[in-house]
Amino acid sequence: MSASNHIDASTLQDDQHFSADIVIVGTGAGGGIAAEQFAKAGFNVLLLEEGAWYQREHFVMEERWAYPQLYQEGAARKTRDQSISILQGRTVGGSTTVNWTTSIRTPEPTLAYWQSEFGLNFSAEYNLTPFFALAEQRLHIQAWSVPPNPNNAKLQQGCEALGWEYSVINRNVNGCANLGYCGMGCPINAKQSMLVSTIPEAMRLGATLISRISVRRILWRQDKVIGLVAVPVDQYFQPRADIQLTISAKHYILAAGAIGSPALLLRSNVPNPSGRLGKHTYLHPTVISGAIFAEQINGHHGAPQSIYSDQFVWPKAHEEIGYKLEVPPIHPVLMATKLVGMAEQHANLMQQFNQLQVTIALLRDGFHPESQGGTVHLDAAGQPVLDYPLTAYLWAGVRRALLSMAELQFAAGALQVMPINHQAQAYRSWSEAKAAIAELPLAPLQQTVVSAHVMGGCNMAASADKGIVDSEGRHFQLENLSIFDGSVLPTSLGANPQLTIFGLVWRNCQRLIAQLSP
Amino acid sequence: MHRRQFILAGLAIAGTAALGVPLWHYSVSAQPENRALVFSAILPALLYGALPADGAAAAAALQRTEQALHDFIPYLPKRQQQELDQLINALAHRVSRLAITGYWVSVKELTINARLQMLQRWRESYLVVLQQAYHGLRELLYGAFYGQPEHWQNLNYTAPRFR
Repeated sequence: MSASNHIDASTLQDDQHFSADIVIVGTGAGGGIAAEQFAKAGFNVLLLEEGAWYQREHFVMEERWAYPQLYQEGAARKTRDQSISILQGRTVGGSTTVNWTTSIRTPEPTLAYWQSEFGLNFSAEYNLTPFFALAEQRLHIQAWSVPPNPNNAKLQQGCEALGWEYSVINRNVNGCANLGYCGMGCPINAKQSMLVSTIPEAMRLGATLISRISVRRILWRQDKVIGLVAVPVDQYFQPRADIQLTISAKHYILAAGAIGSPALLLRSNVPNPSGRLGKHTYLHPTVISGAIFAEQINGHHGAPQSIYSDQFVWPKAHEEIGYKLEVPPIHPVLMATKLVGMAEQHANLMQQFNQLQVTIALLRDGFHPESQGGTVHLDAAGQPVLDYPLTAYLWAGVRRALLSMAELQFAAGALQVMPINHQAQAYRSWSEAKAAIAELPLAPLQQTVVSAHVMGGCNMAASADKGIVDSEGRHFQLENLSIFDGSVLPTSLGANPQLTIFGLVWRNCQRLIAQLSP
Repeated sequence: MHRRQFILAGLAIAGTAALGVPLWHYSVSAQPENRALVFSAILPALLYGALPADGAAAAAALQRTEQALHDFIPYLPKRQQQELDQLINALAHRVSRLAITGYWVSVKELTINARLQMLQRWRESYLVVLQQAYHGLRELLYGAFYGQPEHWQNLNYTAPRFR
């Protein structure tokens, strides 16, 4: 890739001004799709990314390099009370560079809920189906035809034994070697992330990429954005204060993710008549269950996610929260930081690393009055902090999810099951686990909760009193501002979000291009 | 009071007193000697059972882990770095105060069990700040240790290499 249209902002010596037809803040699932669409339509595009422009030759498949270099806050991002850890990309390609490739269309019941609660229309020209198909074709999204690795196979076997639903996952890969290191950046460019697909194509068509730049403020007057104020970041990705960069464009696209986009808008004091800016942030709060098997699982090897189960994602009792069952890749740091206990107890668990199977349950938050999500705040340095209260409604779902996972793991032949909760033990039978989990204290910090999906905070809605942007991602008050990322989702999805963002942004780009073209 | 019991009681107080009083009392800026003191007190306890039996190899592993911590911490948000250093400075301050009494010559005199008990008490504390200290330090320290390929022997794991 030629670097002639790439600027590493950290190398700039003086204040500088940039201008373009379209400026896109963020290069993840939303920004990446938008860059290619607008470049293809003949617009002069400028892409801004807080992270670095790392590529395949940098990806060394070691967590000690990948987490600080490719993830927000060194992969140690946490909610305000530190009770939820959040994995989120911060590099060119955003989370698509480090995600586990799972590609699922927006579930129909989710779209139906958005229609009824937020007045959003998904019929006729607003139908997302053709745009999912376009994104699937563009990013080589297909069912994974290789047999699942043992970590995923146990999820499948447990479902089969119990008569539970499961599906083979569609993945955005081309020439995948089944390595298992998707979370550290694909070293062979098999993963069709934004990094290797839409962004290089946009750059080939003339788009410019500025990396290591943090946009601090949106300048606006009346109903228009008039510019951006940004700074380079230092070698640790901390915003610098010595140089100021300004950017102007005809239209501004915000795609900094569901924590970054609301944070930038909050720093800029933009109009917020609905009062929803930075609120209703959803996480798919996720709980973990470890299991020891007699045989080798080697969960670090092979496609990290190839099977999921939706057995519990849409429960018949609508009052209960649903959860999706998946597995994560198993790598030393990811496991060591999440396994409970200390000293010998922890060391013994780590010694069984290759026999460890891990199942996760992702709770579908945002569909109930007691699940209204979190709120993005700003700290003294203007950096975002997400406050996400864990409610009794969520805890009830956590308990059911821990039970389902233990039942599944024993059904798949586990010798021991360990819910990842600091008060839990390793249990040797389903009946023992069932009795213990029923009594397990569930509270912040004691119960480990993680997230790899950040959604909401700038939700779309049919009317300005219920959202930040309209159904096409246009800001209700600032007419030359669009938000094209996961922050516009009015609830969580009940599915991994990248394909929803690809399809939604693709559709919204086509509508915006039609409106902006002479 | 038996000396060991005194130290145990002292540690419990150290944890609670250091963190039960307003943390703003302590500096938020990094003080390398305090970081070294606190990490060298907690790491051998947390990693008990994971460190090599050989003394020199264990010392090298600890050294590597401390270096990894110093390399990683600057990537945390400034706010979190300040909270971490405030916690470390508070703990180190209590340690040196107790040392003045003559009962606590060095934190390294404490048994591994005593240090683990201290961490355990934080985990079970009614004070949220102590629970956060337990979980925060635990994750940070385990991440630093298990991030190093030299420490994967017990795991029977090696990362594949392409280049």
